[in-house]
Amino acid sequence: MEQDNEDRPERVRLAGAGDDYYARQPGELRAGRWRDDGVRRARRVSNWTAAVLVVGAAAASGYFAHAAAAPVVTGATQPGTTVSGTGQKASVTHPVVTSGGSGVVVGQSGQAAAYRDN
Amino acid sequence: MTAIAAALPVSPAWKLVHVDGGSVGVAERPALGTSVRVAVWPPGHLRQVVGAVNRELADLDLQASRFRPDSEISGIHAVGGGTVEVSDGLAEVIAVALAAARWTGGLVDPTVGAAICALGYDRDFAAISAEEGTTVPVPVSVPGWRSLRQAGRLLTLPEGVLIDLGATAKGVGADRAASAAIRAVNGGGVLVSIGGDMAMAGQPPHGGWPVLVADDHRQEDRAGTAINPVQVVRLTAGALATSSVSCRSWMRGGRRLHHILDPRTGMPAVGPWRTVSVAAASCAEANAAATAGVIAGAHASSWLAGRGLPARLVRHDGDVLMVGDWPAADGGRLTPPPARMAVP
Repeated sequence: MEQDNEDRPERVRLAGAGDDYYARQPGELRAGRWRDDGVRRARRVSNWTAAVLVVGAAAASGYFAHAAAAPVVTGATQPGTTVSGTGQKASVTHPVVTSGGSGVVVGQSGQAAAYRDN
Repeated sequence: MTAIAAALPVSPAWKLVHVDGGSVGVAERPALGTSVRVAVWPPGHLRQVVGAVNRELADLDLQASRFRPDSEISGIHAVGGGTVEVSDGLAEVIAVALAAARWTGGLVDPTVGAAICALGYDRDFAAISAEEGTTVPVPVSVPGWRSLRQAGRLLTLPEGVLIDLGATAKGVGADRAASAAIRAVNGGGVLVSIGGDMAMAGQPPHGGWPVLVADDHRQEDRAGTAINPVQVVRLTAGALATSSVSCRSWMRGGRRLHHILDPRTGMPAVGPWRTVSVAAASCAEANAAATAGVIAGAHASSWLAGRGLPARLVRHDGDVLMVGDWPAADGGRLTPPPARMAVP
């Protein structure tokens, strides 16, 4: 039976299963750079000024590194589920969703908490 | 918890999932005859995300549900054949379905509607799953996807052909919803799952979105068994879909039937695989490939490998076969290849 319906638009195919099965097989951190640039500029001023700038920059970068490493939010949210995050990008340690067959569900997930508008 | 809960819209449909703080917000709602779950970071984006997802779900349901008498697809069926003009949205869904049919060599076919209705899946699944029909199922011939013609918004179909978009529509929905969600927010990332078929947009969390792969998308327990093996993967891009004969089964004439129809026979697919999971660039592609894998039977692994798609196939006895770049280790990263399925 004709199947090439694109070429023969007046014809349609209604009988038989699809028989074309297998037919088509076949750095640098910005803070660090800023600090280096700052030191190089300071050397053109004086050694004492450079020393002060080095100490100051090191203290500042240490502070920011500490702040970045500290999680903004950390906590176990459900039994067996832990999420934590930094200010930059989330870090998730346990599955947030399941890929599986689509059974019938009417919102009865065991982990789903009732919505509360608080 | 208060901050995330307050971020949700006033919508009884959505329920929060593990919201005691943390860097991701997760919510779930029933829709499209299954459950929809969204995960988003930062969690403050949850309100905008569920709003965007709601709109996409509503649009898709009105376009493609064959169980709604007021849907576009039901209207087409009521006409009984000929040429009809459809909305842009439904035109896209049908174009994807035909692309999937072409790509899979007809293993995934949108013209199985009459055949699956003849087996008893003629109404919303929740209404048939509890009953046991006594009539012995008789297969109905599938017209074949080539009997449909589409030119933009014009669709021509023969009389009597019923369109079933179940093998691709959820994938399209997840793709649309993820894209709409990330457009609604500024930065971060989102993962949208419709009945276990999921798409991500934006940036994933560190290492990727952790996803449990199992027979049934309702499973939350990551402790698998020999007969029920599960695996956690980290999806770094694109989409992941799973098709399984373990779900949506019903009894007719003493025989257990399921919803994945083999267009060659007009009957539920038989083969060695009970569950096939595939990662792909889009959820529509992953959905089509996973369904084709179940139907292809013994040839599924070579079909998937030939297309460079990472896949996980589970035999009826629980044995697992991994194809391509599917991670062997629990918690391994899963990165789909570029798009393989051409959609006009």
